[in-house]
Amino acid sequence: MSTLVAPSLSPAAEKLRERLAASPAGGNANVVDADLPVVETSPESWPAVARLLRDDPDLRYDLFLDLLGVDNLSRKGQPTRFEAVAYLHSLPRNEHVRVKIRLPDSREPSLPTVTDVYPAADWYEREAYDLFGFDFPGHPNLHRILCHDAFVGHALRKDYAPGQRWYCAESDLRIPDWARETDERAGHFETQTLSIGPAHPATHGIIHVLARIDGERIVRAETMIGYLHRCFEKMSEKQHWNQVVPYTDRLNYVSAMINGVGYVRTVEKMLGIEVPDRGRLVRTILSEFSRIMDHCVCIGANLVDIGALTNFTYLYQNRENIYGLIEACCGARLTVSYVRVGGLSIDVPEDFVPRCRRLLEWIPEFLRDVDKLVTNNRIVRNRLQGTGVVTKEQAIAWGLTGPMLRSSGVAYDVRRARPYDFYDRFDWEVPIAQDGDNFARYLVRMEEMRQSLSIIRQALDIFPEKGPVNSDDWHVVLPPKDAVYHDMESLIYHFKLVMEGIRVPAGERYEWIEGANGELGFHAISDGRGGPYRLKVRPPCFPSMAAFEKMIVGGTVSDMIATLGTLNIIAGELDR
Amino acid sequence: MSIGVVDVGKRVPKKLTLLQRLYIPEILRGMAVTLRHLVQNLIGVRKLPTIQYPDQRRDYSGRFRGKHILKTREDGTLKCVACYMCAQACPAECITIVAGEHPKIAYEKYPVVFDIDMLRCVFCGFCVDACPKDAIWMTRNYELAFFSREDSIFSIDRLREQPEEIARHGYGYRPYYPGDGTHPPTDASVAPVVPGAGEREALRQKGEPLPDRTPGHGPLNAPSHAETREASEPSPTGR
Repeated sequence: MSTLVAPSLSPAAEKLRERLAASPAGGNANVVDADLPVVETSPESWPAVARLLRDDPDLRYDLFLDLLGVDNLSRKGQPTRFEAVAYLHSLPRNEHVRVKIRLPDSREPSLPTVTDVYPAADWYEREAYDLFGFDFPGHPNLHRILCHDAFVGHALRKDYAPGQRWYCAESDLRIPDWARETDERAGHFETQTLSIGPAHPATHGIIHVLARIDGERIVRAETMIGYLHRCFEKMSEKQHWNQVVPYTDRLNYVSAMINGVGYVRTVEKMLGIEVPDRGRLVRTILSEFSRIMDHCVCIGANLVDIGALTNFTYLYQNRENIYGLIEACCGARLTVSYVRVGGLSIDVPEDFVPRCRRLLEWIPEFLRDVDKLVTNNRIVRNRLQGTGVVTKEQAIAWGLTGPMLRSSGVAYDVRRARPYDFYDRFDWEVPIAQDGDNFARYLVRMEEMRQSLSIIRQALDIFPEKGPVNSDDWHVVLPPKDAVYHDMESLIYHFKLVMEGIRVPAGERYEWIEGANGELGFHAISDGRGGPYRLKVRPPCFPSMAAFEKMIVGGTVSDMIATLGTLNIIAGELDR
Repeated sequence: MSIGVVDVGKRVPKKLTLLQRLYIPEILRGMAVTLRHLVQNLIGVRKLPTIQYPDQRRDYSGRFRGKHILKTREDGTLKCVACYMCAQACPAECITIVAGEHPKIAYEKYPVVFDIDMLRCVFCGFCVDACPKDAIWMTRNYELAFFSREDSIFSIDRLREQPEEIARHGYGYRPYYPGDGTHPPTDASVAPVVPGAGEREALRQKGEPLPDRTPGHGPLNAPSHAETREASEPSPTGR
């Protein structure tokens, strides 16, 4: 007599299966193990499963991270054409889970909205609607978000031919109904609608905020994004794995290095290769320097917005000096393209360590000066303290990560929650604050820069003087030039890699690291070709921007400017 | 080693002291900071970060990714053999190559057209990494302004290595650097050609069969890459 033995699950997945089986809501959900525990469910039961995952005391998946669509049109072995994939994180249990919702084949795939369970799902669902045409019955504001309103078709579907152009006239722009109505209440002046942006000096990039104001107070607002949409995800599908690296530079262009590291880590995990210590340390050091730059830009620009120009020049000198280091390593200042799958494009220059140490001496000087000028300045305090407040509960519900979440009192930092590379070998602290206002965000960012300096110092102490920076797997990394020039076998490896790209085994993977703005995740699907079948980035400032229109209600227009500055919106990664 | 948590909100008192609220002492403290910077900059303690461009120029490293150059052999011909590797590696799809059969057998193929669209180029250096013939390098020349879109397409004339350009700007990102132990590939203009050094056209006129060239290479009569490319369907990327 034979019995069917189910493959054993990891403890995390086993727990999920138990809890789902115990509840009527999780009846037809299935749990499998992949790189993460995966819950497979149908569209009908998705809201109930989501509620269970959030509320069950043993699960507590409270942070909604991402929701993306996948089109399986040309991918073999998939039961349905469309699927929606959601990522949740449990802060108390420090665990990720992937929820896969297979959508029955139909012309208009649809799944119920979960915005009432996870408010953070709002913009993600709009994105899936925009790019895949998923319908979300019950969604409060289901409109296009990244593509413009005159766009025809759904760009990330596999049968959408790239290169089509849709003209958007000014009359095509959607204006929400509430913005058209006037509000004449007794005892009130007529409220009016104020359009801030898209091209406004305080909107840092191109962001359009439509606000209904009553006097100076904002009573309702809506943010419109997508002005910098460059089809990052669609273009990645046409490229080889390595060719995506220059595109990732343009996501968060203020800290380009971190994006590249996040992306190649995903591919390296899919390939199962390891980068030598020296290569990973270079990545760590330059990522931390990039984080400092990012915070310098954020704080500097924010202070400029509220009228303190000098700090900008001090903080930008740091950035200038760090750019000098990065340029000496890879040959470009902003769009670095330094990382490659399996390592780096080139080893660091000989004077790398002394240069880093010199920077470690310079940067704190400028930070100290900014601290002196700003922290106890009455004007700055008046502008930042108590404005743009996000409570702990709100921050979690809105799916915020990074400094935004930490300044509301949640110590979630990917480098601590799931240490990658060498972060668990260093002594450092995750700065948090409790107030959740703009000033708390300023304090957290200032401290993060100091912690980054400490991390770099410790990384330099263990930095090996010599050694490889690249994996020696020539199926992945280009062979050294000397070998290519003189050895036929190396030339063949070189040729195959350039012409066909890296053969990544079919499968999918989600890898996440701590970007300067929060959790930066890459969801990659490979079908075994030389390039990604689907690549989705989880940009950390996307949920922050989604929360912005709720954060500014009740404040004044000038508070809005200060709040937008501390969100650190980078349009490149927001609009992709 | 440990990763702790620190509450920075507790470090900074929420309420300002009376002295700080009076604002004047804080102004003076701030003035002291800015004045110190001013004096330091005036007497030159710190190197000023401002660069008076174009009188002064930034000193870029030898890895800077600027304008491309096509390297030449000793006899002045391009090292490029029109293998299309750089065009394939280019994420911006900005390189256009048309291959031709070089009359000199040792050189096999050469680029009849080699265009780089500088408006599309993202200066990632992938072409330099991809080149198996040491034929394309980058320079530190970043002054590439032009007045029309047509001017943005740099052809062989503007890409061929010019000594004056190198003297002015210097080499940038390249496949190997002095002292890293890499031996550049043998220059085909000095390499022996087997058999003989006969020119292809002369052999054709005599009606003699074309010889195999340097050992280790494929048959000479195979159709060129350019021909097969034209005959095949256009690629989905529209290249």
